[in-house]
Amino acid sequence: MEGRTLVTATTSAFPSPYSIESVPGCEGWEEMYPYYARFDERRRETDENRFWFWNSMHFPVPMPAFDVICIDSPYQAVGSWQNRVFAVPPAMGIDYRIVNGYVYISGNPVTDPEKIAERAGFFQKRAGYYYENWDELYGKWRTKMEALIAELGELQVPDLPEYEPDDVAFGDDRNTAFYEVLDVYSRALRMGDLMWQHHFEFLLLGYGAYGTFVEFCKGHMPDIPDQHIAQMVAGIDVLLFKPDAELRRLARLAIETGVDGSFIEGRTPAEIDAELAQSDAGRSWLAELEKVKDPWFNMATGDGLNHYYCSWLDDPSIPYASLTGHIAALHAGEEIERPTETIERERDRLAQEYGELLDEEDRKPFQDLLDLSRTVFPYVEEHKFFCDYWFLTRWWNKIREFGALLAEHDFLHDAEDVFHLSRHEVACALDELVLSWATGGQALGPEYWPPIVARRNEILERFAGWSPPPALGVTPAAITDPMTIMLWGVTTERVREWARQQDGGRELNGAAASPGTVEGLARVVRSVTEIGDIREGEILVCGSTSPAWAPIFSKIRATVTDVGGVMSHAAIVCREYGLPAVVGTGRASSQIRTGQMIRVNGTEGIVTLLDGDQAQ
Amino acid sequence: MTAAVAQHTRRLQELGGGDAGQYGGKSTSLGELLAADIPVPPGFALSTTAFHAFIGEAGLKETISQAIAGRGAAADMDGMTAGARTISEAMRGASVPDTLRAELASRYAELAEATGVAEPPVAVRSSALGEDSQEATFAGQQETYLWVRGVQDLCDAVRDCWVSLYSPTAVSYRAQVGQAHEEAAMGVTVQLMVDAERSGVMFTCNPVTGDRSMVAINASWGLGLAVVGGEVTPDDYLVSKVTREVVRAHVHSKACEYVPDPSGRGTVRVDVAPERRDVRCLDEEALAALVAIGRRVERHFGSPQDIEWAIARGGGELPGDLFVLQSRPVTAVPKQASKQQAAGSAISLVMGTFGAGSAGSGTADSAGSDT
Repeated sequence: MEGRTLVTATTSAFPSPYSIESVPGCEGWEEMYPYYARFDERRRETDENRFWFWNSMHFPVPMPAFDVICIDSPYQAVGSWQNRVFAVPPAMGIDYRIVNGYVYISGNPVTDPEKIAERAGFFQKRAGYYYENWDELYGKWRTKMEALIAELGELQVPDLPEYEPDDVAFGDDRNTAFYEVLDVYSRALRMGDLMWQHHFEFLLLGYGAYGTFVEFCKGHMPDIPDQHIAQMVAGIDVLLFKPDAELRRLARLAIETGVDGSFIEGRTPAEIDAELAQSDAGRSWLAELEKVKDPWFNMATGDGLNHYYCSWLDDPSIPYASLTGHIAALHAGEEIERPTETIERERDRLAQEYGELLDEEDRKPFQDLLDLSRTVFPYVEEHKFFCDYWFLTRWWNKIREFGALLAEHDFLHDAEDVFHLSRHEVACALDELVLSWATGGQALGPEYWPPIVARRNEILERFAGWSPPPALGVTPAAITDPMTIMLWGVTTERVREWARQQDGGRELNGAAASPGTVEGLARVVRSVTEIGDIREGEILVCGSTSPAWAPIFSKIRATVTDVGGVMSHAAIVCREYGLPAVVGTGRASSQIRTGQMIRVNGTEGIVTLLDGDQAQ
Repeated sequence: MTAAVAQHTRRLQELGGGDAGQYGGKSTSLGELLAADIPVPPGFALSTTAFHAFIGEAGLKETISQAIAGRGAAADMDGMTAGARTISEAMRGASVPDTLRAELASRYAELAEATGVAEPPVAVRSSALGEDSQEATFAGQQETYLWVRGVQDLCDAVRDCWVSLYSPTAVSYRAQVGQAHEEAAMGVTVQLMVDAERSGVMFTCNPVTGDRSMVAINASWGLGLAVVGGEVTPDDYLVSKVTREVVRAHVHSKACEYVPDPSGRGTVRVDVAPERRDVRCLDEEALAALVAIGRRVERHFGSPQDIEWAIARGGGELPGDLFVLQSRPVTAVPKQASKQQAAGSAISLVMGTFGAGSAGSGTADSAGSDT
């Protein structure tokens, strides 16, 4: 293998990260992000020759300064497990940079074969241990996570009182508020770090096992829909379905106890609660709801690693809309329960039928991979609830409490403004706050922070109107980093698609009729009488072919036609001869000239016109 | 017809796999399909003995060996083309022996009786020996005459099928594979015509990726000629065998179609009305019916099949509306799948994903295996 480096090409379809201009009116935006998040001139030689892609999956919106902690911590954690614990042989960790508020990432490959072999030794032993003891280790993980969430719940952001209570003066081991504020803040940050550490402990291995099953299925049945693979693996009794299951139960209860009339579309949760509170039945229904809220209302209102998403506890409009919908469906006589038996039957039927379509020798690995995937899958699904939803929504709220403290003392106009400061700036502001509280002197913070917040607010609004390119830097010949493929689904094909969008009219698309890629000179043939002109090694470009063209297929390297499907004559004959073919391009014979250099990619159905600059 | 008179023909349903050597692959596979209760238009088959009787009685043996004697090398294309032309002309000048003509007339009468039509239209196709075998498939090397009516036209069409055995393409192909021209022979299939409203081709795998969980269907308006001949870019569907889900449905503009000639004999290529060109020609229900038939055919033969099918216009002579016109094994199914991931234990495959497999290979970009 030519190595896992992202091969350097002389030309790239993507812009250099150093060529991106600041969004107008946002000059100086870099100051709100860490110095190491920049495309800095001192790292140019390296950074410009790497492939960076926009991590729109986790960071779809411009990053507020505080939320950068949700880049740093996860990448510290994922790199630790991947690179330092499991030592995934070809891949270390992930670097990130920020451009106009958007996060671009790039994996660090391991290229030295000796190093890869050395790491493989660690990986096999350590990952093997996890796979063998998965259920037990995952059980312990859940205990750890639940304990951490409980600890976060107990964390109190102290007030800054005029006078400390008597306890501080007379009790043992009492701390003053200055220490408490700083301590609680740093503990909140450390708890976040710990959550991210837990988050990634199983993630790579879980995704890896599942990803291997996906690859196995696609390797043997390339067209299998992702949905079917997921259906074969997915659990029946999944934690993430629990919240809605509880809502369905509450919907039934509302009907049984006659309080369903309060759930009218268009009413806010507060209006519904107010009406319910007026009757005994309503109050007891509300009491029942209270019991359900912890933990099941710790669902997040959206996906994404930033503070904008809150939980159902903070914004109950989503669960109340579901309740109203369930009640209406029940009135209409509809079945609202998840048909678990049907789902289970379908899951087993899919597994059996796909298994039977495989060759004999592939059935055991298929079944074993399916079993392993089913073992790891609860983690893959459930970590989101524990980490991304439950912990994180509460954690953002804890940060909001510090925002409220700063706002109370006029360091900020609004608690929400805290997210415009980086975690270090918040620490700094808190330092000054407790200092000025302690000394009784005049704080500068109220003058210092609000203009910074206002400016950053304006910048983020402008950033939101900018379209980040999908990738920056050098176009890789192939994506070989297993993490990039597994976690982001960024494959060679995907990158080519992006490049194509940047490219404009140099490509023709058609049906991928016979696999393989070749480059060569085009020979445009308009009728069978011209086939005598074809030279050895040329690429046939024509309207369509018929059996009369038979003699030429041993001469040519590939075929491109205007019309025809994957079962047309040209397609069939090319598969017989092992020649790449793209058929049904619509306009190849008029677009391409004889003697032009073209590339035929029969695997993906793309014809690229290479004339001029790239013809070599 | 009594058995004593039937020397050269048999009803399709009377044929089985063992008859391929005499009746050719197409006729025998249709016989097998009928035996497996797959809807196939009824008809009969001519044995190679009919061809030999024709050659013998018309005194054409000499002509053949002289015209292409010693032309074994593929290089001499011009000479071979000329020889092929000489033979074709001689064959066209000869007529079908009387005994055979009587036998064909009698078979044709059976079809007339079954349909209640005096001169029912039939399709006459070559059923070449070895043509359908997995090794020697050569795309398109076959002759088809559609909408043939009456005994005289039937005899002419049968003879023209035989003539195709000496087309320049066939002659050069035999030369390439080193088959003696004198040994060439073929069977012929005669079937009631399906007045196809829609037709096309179905592979019980994805012929591009080799995925056996998929059925790939190409479909267009009218008779199958337009699709098989590559004259239109057909609608292109990919359907899951397991769930009948339509994974892909690309509807293309279908500018032309083949329909019966207004005279009632032969076919004619016409433009598809502009408003019908971009209309999807198979709905979910039709796709599901095709996939169900495709799976049955595949199960019967035990390997992925390349099936020609047609959906009849309402009110035709045949009951039902979906017909299988031909089935043969799919050749050249890509095998990249099994190559790229040799069977190993699950855990070693997982290690491979992380680049820690025994071979030390990572998740090498699996899809595009360049040749």
